Amino acid sequence: MSDGATGPHDEKAPFRNPGWAGNTGEFDLTEADVRGTGFVGKRPLDGGHPSGASSFPYMLEEKSPEAALFEGPYRKRFDKIRSQYPEARAALLPCLNMAQEVRGHISAETMDQVAELLELSPAYVRGVATFYTMYNKRPVGRHLIQVCTNISCNLCGADEVLGAFLRETGTDLGETSEDGEFTIVEAECLAACGFPTCVQINSRYFENVSSDDVPAILERLKSQDD
Amino acid sequence: MAYPYTHEREVRMLSEHFGEPKARTVEGWKARGGYRALERAFELGPDQVTEEVKTSGLRGRGGAGFPAGVKWSFMPKKPSADRPHFLICNADESEPGTFKDRELIRWTPHQVLEGCLLAAYAIRARQCYVYLRGEFFEATQVLARALEEAYQAGYAGKNILGSGVDIDITLHVGAGAYICGEETGLMNSLEGRRGQPRVRPPFPAARGVFGMPSTVNNVETLSSVPHIVQNGGEWYRQYGTDQSPGTKLFCVSGHVNKPGNYELPLGFPLMELIEDVCGGMREGRKLKGVIPGGSSVPILSAEECVDCSLSYEGVIEAGSQLGCASVIVMDETTDMVKQVRRMVQFYAHESCGQCTPCREGSAWMTRVLKRIEDGRGTEEDLDALLEIGAQMTGTTICPLSDSAAAPVASSIQKFRDEYLALIRRGERVSAA
Ligand SMILES: Cc1cc2nc3c(=O)[nH]c(=O)nc-3n(C[C@H](O)[C@H](O)[C@H](O)COP(=O)(O)O)c2cc1C
Ligand code: SF4
Ligand code: FES
Repeated sequence: MSDGATGPHDEKAPFRNPGWAGNTGEFDLTEADVRGTGFVGKRPLDGGHPSGASSFPYMLEEKSPEAALFEGPYRKRFDKIRSQYPEARAALLPCLNMAQEVRGHISAETMDQVAELLELSPAYVRGVATFYTMYNKRPVGRHLIQVCTNISCNLCGADEVLGAFLRETGTDLGETSEDGEFTIVEAECLAACGFPTCVQINSRYFENVSSDDVPAILERLKSQDD
Repeated sequence: MAYPYTHEREVRMLSEHFGEPKARTVEGWKARGGYRALERAFELGPDQVTEEVKTSGLRGRGGAGFPAGVKWSFMPKKPSADRPHFLICNADESEPGTFKDRELIRWTPHQVLEGCLLAAYAIRARQCYVYLRGEFFEATQVLARALEEAYQAGYAGKNILGSGVDIDITLHVGAGAYICGEETGLMNSLEGRRGQPRVRPPFPAARGVFGMPSTVNNVETLSSVPHIVQNGGEWYRQYGTDQSPGTKLFCVSGHVNKPGNYELPLGFPLMELIEDVCGGMREGRKLKGVIPGGSSVPILSAEECVDCSLSYEGVIEAGSQLGCASVIVMDETTDMVKQVRRMVQFYAHESCGQCTPCREGSAWMTRVLKRIEDGRGTEEDLDALLEIGAQMTGTTICPLSDSAAAPVASSIQKFRDEYLALIRRGERVSAA
């Protein structure tokens, strides 16, 4: 992840909606403070300490559907993950997460590879992978934009925010824009209901988003890796 | 200035250090009194730790409100070599309206970890899993970093602080499914299965994750434990009510001027939370209703809110449940039918599909509500909705089905006029 503090805005300046939590006025925290990126630093690809090895988010700037899986540092990370559970099966979600981190989505072939790695049947892995909504079953844009339209956000204008994203990018719900930049989907509650509307863009939350903020957010995304 | 809003009537125990980036580091946390409870626990011994938590009356903050100390005492007293115990910290927070666990993790990761260590020690577990919601990338990174520091400082791993106690903590990241917050669904998911709830009995304390004795507690429950162990169970009881001791993070969202997390003693009056702490209703509008505990609990009408006190027993008396204390405030402009439809649509999407009343009922209700919303409903639809809701209640493996039915029944009962207006005139009582 490029450091959350970088961006077109002056991080100290109080401006409405940079898209990070607590943008409510009277405080003096930087975006890096709020996001915790200053504390986290850059975590190594091999997963670092085994206790957190399965917690690695997808943050690679370039994803490649053909990339090798579970090799090099990823193999090391897999071994650490595997060491945390009494059964190999329990490493399934962490492995699927890792595959999506590298490849951007989970194709049927990817599922089969994971099945082989963990000595599970391909049918079993498909059954599990399709249960969970975070696995993209097909490729998505460079920025996956998930707009929460659940109750708290909905009360505060989430439908308009969703509409603004669709309008500004000229895409249909669930489709990817022609330049491959954006895929926009509706999300269920993201657990940021006090900062409506909450929009998750790749691994990052944008909060207190109003429909007026949408053009600036899209501008920021275009000029920045996420 | 603290983050993002605070109020003088708050009692900031869990949230004292929200907004202080330094509190995330192990050094910063120690400087704020962190990890002293762990030292004290090793002096007390596991049974005494459980006793203190029992004395405190701390109730589970994940929704059900079950006393934490009592839950711990269900665990076998001695793990055998082939029956290890497990602790699971439930960080799958996804109940609509709830946004406290993410804040606890991102601001006070060591408070969460210390709570996990204390609970694991009390139930004699050598392994704790923190099941984190997949969407929580940032919070998870913060927790992973803090955990690494905790290992380096000797607070986790082998022979913690020279006590001879070994406790490992592992972060486990989910992949998007509300039902994995339900504790048996969570255990299936942790094992690498579909996150479908299990039939009880057996209960987790007998056969939990990997078939072993397990305890599941919410992030906020565990975050409260260091304060109780440090200061004693009696001390904790100075806050809150007799049946609902302690402080609680209230997640206030919707049509108030200052939404956010506020830590208040349980039993705080609902109207004072809205009017005083949260700066009143947006644009001075009138209150229409409140969902006091996240979208799974019945809606309270404005009249029912007047005398409602925010304790577990107080909210039941008012006609709903405290749940996770996720207070969703709706003003007079709220399109109730649309909002109820949106909530039910969520449950239809999240139903794991095992039980027919839940899977079919929630999908069916969504369609009927949509029809009414679009001005194509009939009065019979309302009876049918209530009928289906009754069939969905108490008939399934887990309570998700009941949760889907609750807002429908309570809104038809309390806001019937709005439904009728849509049905009769094909138009909304109030535009959203
Ligand atoms: C459908 C459903 C979803 C749930 N989601 C969560 C959740 O996201 N987080 C949580 O802590 N508890 C959740 N629970 C409650 C858990 O099943 C469990 O009671 C709780 O984690 C126990 O912890 P506590 O005793 O500390 O509250 C959910 C329950 C149900 C029925
Ligand atoms: S009630 Fe619904 S969510 Fe719960 S187990 Fe049954 S089908 Fe699954
Ligand atoms: S309702 Fe949108 S984040 Fe919870």
